[in-house]
Amino acid sequence: MNISRRNLFKVGLAAGTVLSMPSILRAQASSSGARSVRMVKASDLRVFDPIWTATNITADHGAAIYDTLFSLDSQFMPQPQMVGRWDVSDDKRTYTFELRDGLSWHDGTPVTAADCVASIRRWGQVHPGGQLIVARAKDISKKDDKTFTIALKEPLGLLIDILADLTPPCLFIMREKDANRPATEQVTTTIGSGPFKFNEGLAKPGASITYDRNDKYVPRNEPSDGLAGGKIVNVDRIVWDVIADQQTAMAALQADEVDYFETPPADLFSMVESDSNLALEVLDKLGWDVILRMNCLQKPFDNVKARQAVLHLIDQEACMQAMYPDPKYVSTVTSIFGRDTLVSNDENTGWFKKGGDPDKAKQLFKEAGYAGEKVVILDPTDWHESDNASQLLAATLRKIGVNAELAPSDWGGLTTRRAKKEPVENGGWSMFITSESNYSLGNPLATPLLLANGDDAWYGWPKNEEYEALRTKWADAGTLDERKGMARKMQAIWWDYVGDVRLGTYVSPIARRKTLTGLIGMPQIVPMWNMQKASG
Amino acid sequence: MVAYLLRRLVSTIAVMAMVGMFVFLLLRLAPGDPAAIIAGKSATVEMIAGIREKLGLNEPMPIQFVRWVGDMLGGDFGTSIFAGRPVLELLGQRLEPTLSLSILTMIVSVLLGVSFGIFAAWRAGGAVDRMLSVFAAIGFSVPVFVVGYFIIYWFAISMHWLPVQGYRPIAQGVGPWFEHLVLPTMALSLGYIAFIARITRASMLEVLSEDYMRTAAAKGASPYAMLFHHALKNAGVPILTVVGLCFAYLISGVVITETVFNVPGIGRLTVDAINNRDYPIIQGVLILASGMYVLVNLAVDLAYTLIDPRIRY
Repeated sequence: MNISRRNLFKVGLAAGTVLSMPSILRAQASSSGARSVRMVKASDLRVFDPIWTATNITADHGAAIYDTLFSLDSQFMPQPQMVGRWDVSDDKRTYTFELRDGLSWHDGTPVTAADCVASIRRWGQVHPGGQLIVARAKDISKKDDKTFTIALKEPLGLLIDILADLTPPCLFIMREKDANRPATEQVTTTIGSGPFKFNEGLAKPGASITYDRNDKYVPRNEPSDGLAGGKIVNVDRIVWDVIADQQTAMAALQADEVDYFETPPADLFSMVESDSNLALEVLDKLGWDVILRMNCLQKPFDNVKARQAVLHLIDQEACMQAMYPDPKYVSTVTSIFGRDTLVSNDENTGWFKKGGDPDKAKQLFKEAGYAGEKVVILDPTDWHESDNASQLLAATLRKIGVNAELAPSDWGGLTTRRAKKEPVENGGWSMFITSESNYSLGNPLATPLLLANGDDAWYGWPKNEEYEALRTKWADAGTLDERKGMARKMQAIWWDYVGDVRLGTYVSPIARRKTLTGLIGMPQIVPMWNMQKASG
Repeated sequence: MVAYLLRRLVSTIAVMAMVGMFVFLLLRLAPGDPAAIIAGKSATVEMIAGIREKLGLNEPMPIQFVRWVGDMLGGDFGTSIFAGRPVLELLGQRLEPTLSLSILTMIVSVLLGVSFGIFAAWRAGGAVDRMLSVFAAIGFSVPVFVVGYFIIYWFAISMHWLPVQGYRPIAQGVGPWFEHLVLPTMALSLGYIAFIARITRASMLEVLSEDYMRTAAAKGASPYAMLFHHALKNAGVPILTVVGLCFAYLISGVVITETVFNVPGIGRLTVDAINNRDYPIIQGVLILASGMYVLVNLAVDLAYTLIDPRIRY
């Protein structure tokens, strides 16, 4: 055999031909077809019990396979979903619920009132609103197979709203034998009564999760409205593909290998906008607040003046630019109840100043007696937006003479350290950035971030008895106007006390192929019914 | 030979035990709380504490360790904290994609790398040798993710020849399986081709300068016989060593390629588990990887006897 350049070239040509064979075989049509939808979700579904965890991805899973007693419509008003009829006694202490006809579990057995009672009790162990219901309840029991009651020791004006609350963990109705487990013990089955069935055989955690249409699901007759109304499923199968790399997920969307990409990075928005087959769409129009938590137990933020200094220091526009460069999707926020919620207001917001007020902040730090103590900012480097904002925060604090130090770690490391109440010298912390749904912030019973009960409050442990006294009465407010009034009073106290500081608010558009339509836009949950897919 | 094999297998178990102990301690000492990650970003302290209790994470470390070792000896690698499924089942799901990618990459890398190396050594100093040196430099220096994104753009998005991402099990057909592996194999093998070509070239050059090669040429041996019968056999041991190391490294180290091409293999499983502090999976993967690493090295050592009869155990 003679090894010549010509022979080598021939071998190369042959290899190239072999490598190009897939192009001959590969049809250029969509890989998934019109009856099935492929979605890339924000994260990987790792926990299948939507009561055991409060993560949004598991709430989405819950919304697919389970059903709810009540659902919120597009105006955030609770509407019956599994419930057919309900009424409340004249003394407002006994609620009676009757399940509608046609409800059955995926294994074919009927949904009963006993399932609902067990589910409420389990959910009531972990959801703040649910805990309130259980604490106020004299009795939660079934009357017959389709009817159950909640008897209260004293009236609870918000009961129906709490049952319909969207803040995870939501009240998903499970089979009695599953719901009888403690909330701290994970349910191991995935049998619900919702419009989708979990396909156990095709489940590959970390790779893909498959849902099939529940042919036996009987939707309500009312038209779809938010999460309320008829849950009509227009596709046979939905697959959640786990694609860890955002660039690859975007390429898969462009190549028609997936139909939906939940978290396109901001630097790829222009790529979506320039592709005639793709569209950006904001589903959660309320969005999320970026929140700075300060450790109220340790120096310097155990002093209210130091916390007020940070409130005056923050330039929200600069923070949001560092986190989310596209101004279309960000804005400032001055209400502790988030932007554009039913109880957002402008009480005691005189501190807000475009560009922040470093001079005022410096003065307040001085009044707080700040003597150069180390300020440790927990910096989650695997959450890029928060990492950027943490660095900006550190630089801004240093500019006014604060001894700020970043403590980089991944989010997992941050979750451990934020639980430490000790001084920074003993492994504690001073500040970290987190985010919370504006929808949840609109309900101080639902989010732990609006607690101010000291050691029992969320990380940072703010304590203000006057504020807490108002917050605990929230559930008794019978009307929206009453709640709006209370919200103003609570906010007035919060911004004087400075339980936290807001860095701005943002909405995250999803990217989708234009062939996928009918997505329901609600906070916290991305439901999969109602969506439609046109072929090619 | 049998005694040697037994000795090596015993040492494999010892290595795996040491790796296991080291990994167990390291994971527990590293910051991060799986319970907090499970509970969600806004979870309350009580929710996290409840989950920690249920997962047994509050127990003293020695008790956790003894239980883990006991389970391991009984063949139970534990259950994923997050997925709630046996670690062995999850590893089983992820082994096929990683092995498929590793084996295909090694086949391509060995075929092309050895061929290029032989050709470069045969024409040392010539234009082809210089071209191959440039190729090797590029193969070494361009990161795999850059190559990955480039070929995704070219072959998948622009030309629509191949899928962007994903994996199809071989049970669903050889065509789809191969189609989904072409791009990751191309991206991953570039560096290995360059590495193996360089080693082959160096090893071949050394052998080609030996007296017996001049004797073979004087006796009128053809270039084919000289290169493949005389030179390659004698240059084979270092090449085989490198190929073995590359393969062992591939099995446990294809994280970036698996991420860029969304291949649900062992590498992705490991990274996800580390991010989530899913201790049983991390422990299982690392013990599996260390075992495979040692076994591949053992296979390479045994293979030496096939190409060099002077080596005996």
